[in-house]
Amino acid sequence: MSTIAIISSFADDTRCAQAIEELRAAQVGTFNTFSPIPSHKIEHAIGRSKSPVRWLVLAGGISGVLTGLAITIGTTYEWHLNAGGKPLLSWPPFIVICFELMVLLGGIFGFFGVLMLSGVPTTVSAPGYDGRFGEDRFGIVVRCEEAEAARVESMLKESGAEEVVREDEAQPR
Amino acid sequence: MAAAPKITAEPSYRDIDRSVLRVMEPAGRAYWAWIGFCFTLVAIAAAMWLRQIYSGLGVTGLRQPVMWAIYITNFVFWVGIAHSGTLISAILFLFRTKWRTAVYRAAETMTIFAVATAGLYPLIHLGRVWFFYWLLPYPNQRYLQPDFRSPLVWDAFAVSTYLTISALFWTMGLIPDVANAREAATGWRKKFYTALAMGWQGTDRQWRHYSMAYLLMAGLATPLVLSVHSVVSWDFAMAINPGWHSTLFAPYFVAGAIFSGVAMVITLLIPMRKLLGIEDLLTEWHFDNLAKVVLLTSLVVSYAYLTEAFMTWYAGDPVEQMTFHMRYFGPWGWMYWIMVLCNCVIPLLLFSPRIRVNMRALWIITIFVNIGMWFERFVIIAGSLTANFEPSQWAGYRPSITEIMITIGSFAWFLGLFSLFSRFLPIISMTELKEGIVWLRKAIKMDRVRAE
Repeated sequence: MSTIAIISSFADDTRCAQAIEELRAAQVGTFNTFSPIPSHKIEHAIGRSKSPVRWLVLAGGISGVLTGLAITIGTTYEWHLNAGGKPLLSWPPFIVICFELMVLLGGIFGFFGVLMLSGVPTTVSAPGYDGRFGEDRFGIVVRCEEAEAARVESMLKESGAEEVVREDEAQPR
Repeated sequence: MAAAPKITAEPSYRDIDRSVLRVMEPAGRAYWAWIGFCFTLVAIAAAMWLRQIYSGLGVTGLRQPVMWAIYITNFVFWVGIAHSGTLISAILFLFRTKWRTAVYRAAETMTIFAVATAGLYPLIHLGRVWFFYWLLPYPNQRYLQPDFRSPLVWDAFAVSTYLTISALFWTMGLIPDVANAREAATGWRKKFYTALAMGWQGTDRQWRHYSMAYLLMAGLATPLVLSVHSVVSWDFAMAINPGWHSTLFAPYFVAGAIFSGVAMVITLLIPMRKLLGIEDLLTEWHFDNLAKVVLLTSLVVSYAYLTEAFMTWYAGDPVEQMTFHMRYFGPWGWMYWIMVLCNCVIPLLLFSPRIRVNMRALWIITIFVNIGMWFERFVIIAGSLTANFEPSQWAGYRPSITEIMITIGSFAWFLGLFSLFSRFLPIISMTELKEGIVWLRKAIKMDRVRAE
């Protein structure tokens, strides 16, 4: 049996989140959503765990500190500069370098981590994407068995969808 | 540009998009004339710099003992200007401040271009600029390495980290907005925005990672912004030079940076909202709040001036006292009192709620603050060097035409880049404004009630 995609649009995230909760409860098909803003209601309704990007930032931060220690200690041993009889390894100034590199690598890992995890850059458009979803509409694209399509459509409409169309009927805008 | 359509009292997401995207429509001749003017000044400054590189630092007014003067003043000034952007985009984000959404993109953009301007000055200040990389640790045959005890090395790390992190944070915020611009654009602009948006479509998966990363980046940028100006202040405070050697410097410089930066945001935004017709998005409520930040930081800076004087008197070091005596009553005393007038006295007008929403008055006050803060840096940096330990070494300083033209050129460089940005990329974050639409509606209502 073939699967089809059903595209629905909502005027606000409350109704969109409600539809997601119902879809999850009914366990029909798979879906993804589009929204103009990051919505906590939608995120909560989908119920995924926290983004793993935080571990990447942590890894970046730790590698930054280690890099800082490596270059400050390493270069000091390479070039023994006696400044006013101070200890060769002067920790307080090294903290500054370690801190800056922690922020630098943490930020770089975070930025590129978010790109990698979000699947950008890409030239492939997600199925069912519509320009309105960047502007003022919240969209749910459900992929389900053809036999279940009518049930999904009625669920979406009951949750307050403004428009429910099947992918082959959708007009590009 | 056609007159801006008045936004409704209850703007929708679409109204926000329309208002912001309209600013990005092709600009008229006056705009290009302004850009041309700015970059002509930049070209003159670049020519002066080339001449300086060819002839040496002798073409500047730098002579012993005043070897740090306008260039370093400009460096500190521009790094300071940058700070408000990160304050508004990161620190106020963590505090969930409602009014930041409309102003943060412009402030953050200002940060990037201000750091890009500031970053030029240590290079311009170098006698042999082609050896700038000596400040960084790199493997070499002689096993020579920079001294990590030197604040100048910390500065190289701090400022370059700041530029990188601000640029990444800014780019991240731009992606959803540029994706939005992509949908509305045509022709080469569509290709341009499509490339910049990198295929962003606002899926739940994308937002999930984005929101988490944005929060963490704000968390990283917050201590960073405080560290950067502290490190800049240690360029001075770590030296034993009278007038510089003080533990007060880090908080004093950070407060001054936020003070001058927020003042610069206001100075730029007031004409911009008028010229670009976005008065309905940047409301009086936003300026009222920005002005409060200026007032608060002005009071902190005034307190720092008093503390500095008190500590000098209380410590009883005659050299330090002489330096401060010269600062207040010496040949350059007038600069100090201009600074006090601009930074401590004039901003007190902002205690009046009416002045805080009077755009003309606010604009003039913030220009005074910019002038005052430039003088503050000059008084501290060059002023402290003129009267040092040995009276026999005391000397004055007079900037040369090279330094003056390069200074003017750097202002033109900053304004030119900012103006270019404001017409090609969304100067107001549509995404964040939509998220806080309730507050925008309240602000518009308040503005209208006040107008009536």
